[in-house]
Amino acid sequence: MTTTMIEIDNLYKRFGDLEVLKGIDLSVSQGEVTVIMGPSGSGKSTLLRCINRLEEITSGTVTVDGYDVTDPETNINFVRTEAGMVFQQFNLFPHMTALGNVTLGPLKVRKMERGEAEKLGLDLLKKVGLSDKANVYPDHLSGGQKQRVAIARSLALKPKVMLFDEPTSALDPELVGEVLEVMKQLGREGMTMVVVTHEMNFAREVADRVIFMDEGIIIEEDAPEAIFSNPRHERTKSFLGKVI
Amino acid sequence: MGSGFDFKVSVMWESVPILLTGMKLTIIITVLGLVSGFILGTVFGLMKISRNLFFRKLGGFYVESIRGTPLMVQVMFIYFGLPLAIGMRVPPMLAGVTAIGVNSGAYIAEIVRGAFQSIERGQTEAGRSIGLTHLQTLYYVIWPQALKRMIPPLGNQFIISLKDTSLLVVVGVGELTRTGQEIIAANFRAFEVWLTVAVMYFVMTMSIAKVLNVIERKLEI
Repeated sequence: MTTTMIEIDNLYKRFGDLEVLKGIDLSVSQGEVTVIMGPSGSGKSTLLRCINRLEEITSGTVTVDGYDVTDPETNINFVRTEAGMVFQQFNLFPHMTALGNVTLGPLKVRKMERGEAEKLGLDLLKKVGLSDKANVYPDHLSGGQKQRVAIARSLALKPKVMLFDEPTSALDPELVGEVLEVMKQLGREGMTMVVVTHEMNFAREVADRVIFMDEGIIIEEDAPEAIFSNPRHERTKSFLGKVI
Repeated sequence: MGSGFDFKVSVMWESVPILLTGMKLTIIITVLGLVSGFILGTVFGLMKISRNLFFRKLGGFYVESIRGTPLMVQVMFIYFGLPLAIGMRVPPMLAGVTAIGVNSGAYIAEIVRGAFQSIERGQTEAGRSIGLTHLQTLYYVIWPQALKRMIPPLGNQFIISLKDTSLLVVVGVGELTRTGQEIIAANFRAFEVWLTVAVMYFVMTMSIAKVLNVIERKLEI
């Protein structure tokens, strides 16, 4: 039995006159790893950001774990704890240590006791391989370490879905692997993930499905092997030709 | 010197104890004024970046009207003008602190606004994405970072406001400048006394600058 975790129905997003998403339909099941690819400006990041309403939705509906994100009655802050997000630029809080970053959510959103939050935080830092960096400030971490702290920070809310917005694009090539490793581990543990990335190997190894977007619509979706070895659309072909 | 001018260091030394009482008042007015200015500046600075149009306009009106008029006029208005409207005398001290507070508040509002706007949008998004409310994000994520960026321009404003207190001479607050005037009225030693007064202002502003330097170094700004 599969439960639907994210349901997107006829989603439109406009920035002024610019229509960025033009009728997206997408359903993500629990435990599924979905990779979104597409050229820059195709709307993939915007789509991701509509899922936790970092962008206001122009029309259509988005539900996360049954909660209607577009409904003004919905407590959006609660939905955001259900759908963690990892950003391209990490966006760690520079005035807090790694542990401080990870425990802020548990302390202020979940109202956890400090001791309990710190235990959770240390466990998560251990999980992402950064036990020894708990008291280090982001300025003294490498890009890969920052991104792993950012992942731990999101996981601290015990989300049901994780959204990754080009998590390795801002990293030096030699640091990409350590972040992907953590993400693969999450995927194997059954976390529902939507990942905007151009990392083919990650898609091949972990993704259940690859979605290809261009100009605000989904033009093709398939299992990774199928879409990489046998893309049906011209635009997918030409894009994959450039990326590989 | 044919003019008969003879500089006497002893006059400077003799004026110090009385001037110190004025200096004490200058410090009190500056501190109280800046505390109110900081509160006003924070409130109106945040209004200026509020999502609410009314607050934005209100914040803009405050900043523009205060920044656009001389402090001297503001002081006179509060001390001589306002009492006529409210039918109540405003004590000189209160008028002075209010003027310094309201005046520095307008400049501090701009400092607060600039500092908040300089924090990358990703910080707000990261805060919101872990479920913090708008206010929690402002308080736990943006404010501490903005505060750090505000320190150098705030220091500048503190120094300006401290010197501005000398304008309160017009309403008769016995601060440092007024005390100097009073001494000169009695001994006619304008050169020595004004020089002493200047040195005392300089010592105060330098102390602020030094303290800020230490803070900046500690916070690695």
